[in-house]
Amino acid sequence: MHLASYGFETVSLADLEQADRGELDAAPFGIIGMRPDTVADVYNETEAELSGVSPRNVLGAPFFDTIGQCMNNFMVAQRFEDEPELDDIVPFVLTLRMRPTRVRLRLLQMPQVERRYILIER
Amino acid sequence: MQSDENSLLSFLYACPVGLIEFDRAGRIGMLNPHAMKLLMPLAGPMGPEDMFAFLERHAPDLRNLVEGFAEDHGTIREGHRIHVDLGDIGRKGGPQVLCASIIRLGPDRYMATLSDISAQVAQEHRLAQADAWFSALIDGINGYALLAVSGNGTILSANRHFAEQTGHPIERVVGCPVREFLQGHDCGGHPAGNLADEFHAATRDGWVLREGWESRADGGRYWCQRLIVARDDPGLPDDPERPAYSMVLRDVPPRDGSAADLVAMLTRDHLTGAANRMHFQKVLRRERLRWMRSKCPASLTMLDLDHFKAINDTYGHPVGDEVLREVAALGLSRIPHGGVFCRLGGEEFAVLLPEADLAAAHALAEDLRAEISRLSIGASGIRVTASFGCAAFAEVDGSTEALIALADERLYAAKRAGRDRVLAATA
Repeated sequence: MHLASYGFETVSLADLEQADRGELDAAPFGIIGMRPDTVADVYNETEAELSGVSPRNVLGAPFFDTIGQCMNNFMVAQRFEDEPELDDIVPFVLTLRMRPTRVRLRLLQMPQVERRYILIER
Repeated sequence: MQSDENSLLSFLYACPVGLIEFDRAGRIGMLNPHAMKLLMPLAGPMGPEDMFAFLERHAPDLRNLVEGFAEDHGTIREGHRIHVDLGDIGRKGGPQVLCASIIRLGPDRYMATLSDISAQVAQEHRLAQADAWFSALIDGINGYALLAVSGNGTILSANRHFAEQTGHPIERVVGCPVREFLQGHDCGGHPAGNLADEFHAATRDGWVLREGWESRADGGRYWCQRLIVARDDPGLPDDPERPAYSMVLRDVPPRDGSAADLVAMLTRDHLTGAANRMHFQKVLRRERLRWMRSKCPASLTMLDLDHFKAINDTYGHPVGDEVLREVAALGLSRIPHGGVFCRLGGEEFAVLLPEADLAAAHALAEDLRAEISRLSIGASGIRVTASFGCAAFAEVDGSTEALIALADERLYAAKRAGRDRVLAATA
């Protein structure tokens, strides 16, 4: 499958799970995947470019406690806890490279898939 | 080099304190994720762009503090507490008290740190109360006045120190209502809340500590700290002979000016001297309890200056501030004893009137409206009008949120109907 042919709004959680590293990196939007304990294990090149932080500083650390603090609230982090089935797009403001930046976030989670995803479209 | 920038960014992303850079107009240049995390619930989905605009509701004096700072560099404020009022969101775990420190880096460059100190403030509050409690007991080694009071407020027993402290003989007070001997007046000479409220609070929380002026039998007055402790001795709840409360009374030196200043600082709006939002919320909760218990009428009036933004845009913020001060001074001078005149934020004020029904609130609002429209402010003789919405606890079954919403709804109906008017009924 070719992730590049899917858009921010259309890509499915199954597509993301099947994509390889190169396909994830080539996506035109940021992709963050994390385990149920919020430890990040997917962080694509697009997101690294947007944030200015390399994957080695993000992978393996609890995402909402480190780089993703501004999403650690009822609008994002709490929804993953409250909604086992989640596919929603929310307008948000991130602090990419410490500049307030309007983005759209897509929150993806399904009961049968362990990894949950946040997609970021600038 | 790349690695340095990467490390620096990781450091800022992970920093557990909010950092914000903004200009004189409040426009945010940079901020880190922790700052965004704290500000997002306040700013809503549009996100924070103008520091002052979305903090206005919670800290209306912030802009004045920044604009009033004359030096080009230096600390404007350290540890400034912002009491956040987010209604439902606050209950979902949003911040309740933020602590901000602000420095000026240059003529048009400011930096603020922001942290959520809600848990710390709650802890301080508990410690202060516990401290007062222990002080009362420890000082009591040298003798304290003690009363046992029944559930209906009758004095069942008094000790020798009570007689010495107040000049009332023991045999004269036993069997009498405690309110005959204790009035409780605050520093301004206003009743500090009635005793029934204090007994109610003691029953709810276990104990309550208050202070105020009290009179001795000879008419002299003294500053009295009183601790009321609810006793949970077994017995019939309605038994008039059962001691339901213990009261400890201490004759302490009255507060000096600096303590009174501190009280003013904590309860007053920096710019106008009107009560601040935190104090307003406290009195509103107290009035709600009173209404729930006694159905004693209480009402709320919201008022908002008409076309205030145009005054700021035409004459500048200093003149706008003068208008706010004049309106607040008028409001403060007209509210009756026991009422609260509060600045909720920006050009929005509220009048809380205990023991006033809707008709009384309407009449006062109408007087205020007429007087505001007659003001001529500053050298330019600026004229201003205001719109008003009144509501009473009786209309909303004692819900403070519904009371505010109803007064607000009428205020905006008054605006739509052409401004400079009072609405006390829903169309």
